[in-house]
Amino acid sequence: MTVLNRLDWYNIARDTNWTPTYVSDKDLFPEELTCAFGLPAEAFEEYDEPYKTTYPEYVKVQREKDAGAYSVKAALERSKMYENASPGWLSVLKLHFGAIARGEYSASSAECRMVRFGRAPGMRNMATFGMMDEIRHSQIQLFFPHQYVSKDRQFDWAFKSYDTNEWAMIAARHFFDDMMVTRGAVGVGMMLTFAFETGFTNMQFLGLAADAAEAGDWSFSSLISSIQTDESRHAQIGGPLVQILVKNGKKAEAQKMVDISIWRAWKLFSILTGPVMDYYTPLEHRKQSFKEFMQEWIVGQFERSLLELGLDKPWFWDDFLREIDEQHHGMHLGVWFWRPTVWWDPAAGVSPAERQWLEEKYPGWNDTWGHCWDVITENALEGNMAKTLPETLPVVCNMCQLPINYTPGPKWTMRDFPLTHAGRDYHFCSEGCRWVFEQEPSRYKDHQSLVDRFLDGQIQPPDLGGALKFMGLSPGEMGDDALKFAWVEEVRADRIKKAS
Amino acid sequence: MALFPLTSNFQEDFVLQLVAVDTDNNMDEVAAAAAVHSVGRRVKARPGVLRVRRQGASEPFARDLKVADAGLRPMECVEIYWEGSTAHLREPRH
Repeated sequence: MTVLNRLDWYNIARDTNWTPTYVSDKDLFPEELTCAFGLPAEAFEEYDEPYKTTYPEYVKVQREKDAGAYSVKAALERSKMYENASPGWLSVLKLHFGAIARGEYSASSAECRMVRFGRAPGMRNMATFGMMDEIRHSQIQLFFPHQYVSKDRQFDWAFKSYDTNEWAMIAARHFFDDMMVTRGAVGVGMMLTFAFETGFTNMQFLGLAADAAEAGDWSFSSLISSIQTDESRHAQIGGPLVQILVKNGKKAEAQKMVDISIWRAWKLFSILTGPVMDYYTPLEHRKQSFKEFMQEWIVGQFERSLLELGLDKPWFWDDFLREIDEQHHGMHLGVWFWRPTVWWDPAAGVSPAERQWLEEKYPGWNDTWGHCWDVITENALEGNMAKTLPETLPVVCNMCQLPINYTPGPKWTMRDFPLTHAGRDYHFCSEGCRWVFEQEPSRYKDHQSLVDRFLDGQIQPPDLGGALKFMGLSPGEMGDDALKFAWVEEVRADRIKKAS
Repeated sequence: MALFPLTSNFQEDFVLQLVAVDTDNNMDEVAAAAAVHSVGRRVKARPGVLRVRRQGASEPFARDLKVADAGLRPMECVEIYWEGSTAHLREPRH
């Protein structure tokens, strides 16, 4: 039987804009779920998906991708990767799987909303594949870490984290729920696929796959590459939407959604990716600093695509550029200092050689972050470990849910960005997070940060033990210094060498 | 006499922290309570008197002023700094 070429039938087959007769168009596509800003269906008829594929083609390619990733895993099962990997690299894996795997299911439900309520047939078609992509991502990222659960309970958090009130998980979930679970189809297209995936994760997965290969973890590298190829396809759902909104007089609305998502994605990136690149990855495997990565892969490319599609740079662009030099150092220090409250073992990354690298990549590091680490290092050298741990909670931001932190040292730039709304006081880490809240207070106002819950009496007893219980962290799961303070001995040896 | 939560912004530290004080505490006691969580943990100890001011205020609270009389809101951010040091001012926002 002769088979037609795809392009000869694709447009007819995927054009499912039927005329409803039993219900009205408004009932079929309620504004709340389409998020079309009142634009009629005709406005979306110009939507032209940049990546065209058919179901048989999709299944064939996905089957090959799965076969590739799973066979690499099977082949390397006896490779002793777990036993031979650096503790810092294992922390990268734990952090990644715990923060991302179950979030992929949320992403799948978001894609479902575009499948059902997207106003353009091409968008619905691409989202159908995107929906299946995200299910695959969740399953494969739960299956791969499962092999390590019997060796290390922290890997169990690949599945467990999403159902807990662990603080970093609250932060990830707050953002994911905002842009994926509670937005209409156009909102998801703009905030998840365009801002978050095109802007951040697509590039980040490329970098992560390369880091994994560099660290000798071929299994993880092939897994991440396999996911990234899906991501680069379905991330393109948002681009044509931006153009349609701009063309139909909805630029301000499009800009706002994109700006909110970029700011929020950045905040999460600063804690998930920054510490991994500049502190956890063993020094000999670091190709570029987080700042260099952000400037090369995120800032430049994103800036171009925003302008090309008719949007402007977000109003906070200067703050964002400043923060990529600073913010992740504080996120890292916060995670390390409050380490019993996370499900991975943060690597301090401040041995003498590592500090030299940090100073080189971030001139002034020793006079700012270095000051805090000097005090920590002295305490560790003297065996005063209690002083390397906290006795209170950091104040977390009522938007990003992350500790409010700034560059320490003589300049002392730290401050709170408070707001009183409807009689309740909120605390934000930045102008950006406060601005996001102000765009739609009803969306965010009832959420309680971890500190709000503590003050509300939900954490009992009201101490570290009670907080760990509240967060679901059992002994054997709580984080500790990844190298068990071996780096302190390097400091000691360095000092003896210099003194002799 | 009641527990009163404040947000501590301690000079040269990197993170805002929750500090539980009592409404009967004076500002010297607030400063000491905040110092427990910063000095010797991430900030080097130094001699001198610690002062407390509201975020953005140019002058500190009187050292013997009680929390109950300071007009602070629960969780309001206070800055704790060494008297006589270069302590940068922040824009008041509340």
